[in-house]
Amino acid sequence: MKGYAGKILRLNLTEHKVGTIPTSKYQHWMGGHGMGSAIFFDLVKDKTIDGFHPANVVTMMTSPLSATLVPAASGRTEVQGIGVQSYPIGWFTRSNLGGRFSGMLKFAGWDGIVIQGKADKPVWIDIRDGDVRIRDCAPLSLWGKETWDCQETIWDYVLSGGKSDDWSSPAGKESGMTTQRPAVVAIGPAGENRSRIACLIHDASNAAGQGGFGAVFGSKNLKAISVIGTGQVEIHDPKMLMATRLWQKENYAFDLNHLKETWGSFQFKSPPVPILFWAKGRPRIDQRPQACMGCHSGCRARYKDAAGNEASCFASVFYWDARNLDIQRLASDLINRYGLNAVEMIYGLLYIHTLRQSGQLKTAKIPDCPLDFSRYGSKEFIEQFVKMVAYGNDGKGNESQFGRDISDGFVRAAEKWGRRKQDLDSGILAFPYWGIPIHKEPRAQVYWGYGTLLGDRDINEHEFDWIKWEATSAKSSGREPSLTAKEVVRIVTDKMIPFQGDLDMLDFSESNIYSEHMAKMVSWQRYYTRFWKQSMLFCDARWPDFVNIQRPDYVGATGIAELRYVKAVTGEIFSFEDGMNLGRKIWNLDHAIWTLQGRHRDMVHFVDNVYEKRPLFQADVPNAYMPGKENGKWDYYAYSQRTLDRDKFDEFKTRFYRLQGWDTATGYPTRETLEALGLEYVADELEKAGKLGKG
Amino acid sequence: MNSQKGKNTKITRRHFIKVTGTIVLVAGTGWNLSAADEIPPSDGYLLVDIKKCQGCASCMLACSLVHEGVESLSLARIQIMQNSLESFPVDLTIEQCRQCVEPACVKVCPTGALKPNAKYGNVRMVDKENCIGCGACYDACPYAPSRAALAADKDYDGEDRSRKCDLCANAPFHWDEAGGGPDGKQACVAVCPVGAIKFTKKIPKQEGDDGYKVDLRDRNWGKLGYPTR
Repeated sequence: MKGYAGKILRLNLTEHKVGTIPTSKYQHWMGGHGMGSAIFFDLVKDKTIDGFHPANVVTMMTSPLSATLVPAASGRTEVQGIGVQSYPIGWFTRSNLGGRFSGMLKFAGWDGIVIQGKADKPVWIDIRDGDVRIRDCAPLSLWGKETWDCQETIWDYVLSGGKSDDWSSPAGKESGMTTQRPAVVAIGPAGENRSRIACLIHDASNAAGQGGFGAVFGSKNLKAISVIGTGQVEIHDPKMLMATRLWQKENYAFDLNHLKETWGSFQFKSPPVPILFWAKGRPRIDQRPQACMGCHSGCRARYKDAAGNEASCFASVFYWDARNLDIQRLASDLINRYGLNAVEMIYGLLYIHTLRQSGQLKTAKIPDCPLDFSRYGSKEFIEQFVKMVAYGNDGKGNESQFGRDISDGFVRAAEKWGRRKQDLDSGILAFPYWGIPIHKEPRAQVYWGYGTLLGDRDINEHEFDWIKWEATSAKSSGREPSLTAKEVVRIVTDKMIPFQGDLDMLDFSESNIYSEHMAKMVSWQRYYTRFWKQSMLFCDARWPDFVNIQRPDYVGATGIAELRYVKAVTGEIFSFEDGMNLGRKIWNLDHAIWTLQGRHRDMVHFVDNVYEKRPLFQADVPNAYMPGKENGKWDYYAYSQRTLDRDKFDEFKTRFYRLQGWDTATGYPTRETLEALGLEYVADELEKAGKLGKG
Repeated sequence: MNSQKGKNTKITRRHFIKVTGTIVLVAGTGWNLSAADEIPPSDGYLLVDIKKCQGCASCMLACSLVHEGVESLSLARIQIMQNSLESFPVDLTIEQCRQCVEPACVKVCPTGALKPNAKYGNVRMVDKENCIGCGACYDACPYAPSRAALAADKDYDGEDRSRKCDLCANAPFHWDEAGGGPDGKQACVAVCPVGAIKFTKKIPKQEGDDGYKVDLRDRNWGKLGYPTR
């Protein structure tokens, strides 16, 4: 099959060894997450180990579409392993970053990287085509550097002090030439100090944010991975690939000569406008859009003063109360430079600030907080806060128990302070599941909360989010939505193979959110994202293409375009349903790993606050409108002020488990289901652990 | 950013040997150096807007795809170089072949493999059959990075062959039946999502960068919040 480099890089940091795994061994998973889960399952014999254990394996996988002209699918890297962020267990989890790392890895001749063991001193990995070295950090003084300084130092080293303004042969004169900088993934001080909310940073603001993989790298004494490739990726049908790209550009993407929108959105047809949430808006200074490798529509920007370069989404929400835009842009840069998870930093700061405002910060069990809240909103305040979390101190180089506590994440800090339950219940600690911060309102966009709870992390999957944005925007401005609720639901559910045509999957009314229809909706999203987004690595910001206002019929390209691309690149005739089936298989493999880690049905619940209280903070969009069917009539309704029903959610779990073919009493996978998916060996391991469900 | 280059000296020396070893071939090729003085101008040129580019490198991926049937940044005839941490607009540049009116690469080619091709509007093209991979064109190109680049060629047992922009005239994997060249379609122009690359038949100003690095930003670009100056 074309599109693959043919080998996966295997690093054993304990033994200082570089090896390979033939990609063909895992090619039936196609790429990305599927391959990563399968490799993890094979290499980690004891799935109950902690994320900081040296035997934890981290995979960084590409897909056959990486480094190709497939739009918004070329530049993403899937990161997996046992995480350290979630609570009470660091689940086997995933994260994902964009940019050019995956493309460069493919050009260097690798389909992915598998990281095992722990180095005896800080190291970085230097990949130049097939030449891979595990290098000591000391000569370049990399350990201790911020992520940007680290990357610049490695760029200079690999390019022998040169700039990337001419051809060079970084892999030696017998290898190919390139004009490019190496693509580097690095951790900052937060990862080195094993903050559980540390992430991986690549270029200015590509982050594998969730899971605490920065801390896992830190625990392995791994500072950075640099890759530069001068090779090529074989394509099955180059003409078809080019023609398909142009077909989609012509028919489904934005048209600069006939702009229908001038803002950025999570849609295929979005124009290349940064998706920003800085409180004072987008800076009115000279700038360009910036896109990942091969993407047709960049969702970030670079600026005349370089401040906030490439920041978007949550990286731009951080420090909402900054006194001005420049300080907030600096705050975005700070979390990237120190390598911290933006979402947890947002809700963590909100928690600490709320404790302080309500007079609860100076209680007996909370250590002295070194922050000076009279400076809240200033540059100095946020620098100190970021450094406190990154270094686990007072942010000025001195010991601080408070700093140590919050460096471990805010739910764990609250636990140490004896207030976890109380603050989760009141809602000031807005972490409704698995110790993970809220994103979309779980009481309204129930699929988001259900998917997160039934999985391992904030799903951060925006397939259906546009529906809410469009409806809410229309309602709040007094205009008619571009499509009626029923029209939207029809277009979207028509594409939801294998449950296509069940309109009630998108009925968010109270009477439907615990139903079999909603179980199908959640299942569809779990399977779809596991395969198409996280294994084939179609970007969440641009795919799927459900509703497309560029089209006269509003029907997007999903279901057609993906298959053409897979065929053009790999030569495989692959149906959308084939992908969904593989997605189901991957979802089952992940669920088996969580089960081996200790997952049981009884653990799968929201914090009490979600059942008992209305939202304290408005997550995402206030008073969001969602499609629903009330008294038999489809329309958009506001559902964000309701609470979930504990007993009915429990009934939903039963419906969901039954639909998966899992044991409804325990949530454990059954042999019958696993064998039907070709996962007999997984069933065997579950049986050995006494965790095989009764079918 | 389009600096006159200080070349990679290792490559220069390596290829000097090839050049001197093969110069004897020149006489027999039918190409005669004095004719270089009468090189007709190309019928087509690529213009770029480095302030409009979004850095996706789709042009590079499309270029290697239609010419070589593979994806490769190193085999692309147009190069985008960028630094994610730098300030706009010096964070990025696009370097495309200028199809020079006075093409140093053509003048220096010892075998006549690199020459204007009358069939395709005198685009400066490499005939790989006659190319000996000496690197003279790479060295002679006055721009950095050199617009003619050497790479191992699988069709020639992995021996080096020169590659440069031909406006997609000789693109075996061209998606359009009519093909490329000055009268056809160029992959980089067609694929660029933001219209930062333009084809023209008018000879750009040869001195400096102004003729080739142009402003392609219109009112619609301004509507997206980007500078149009």
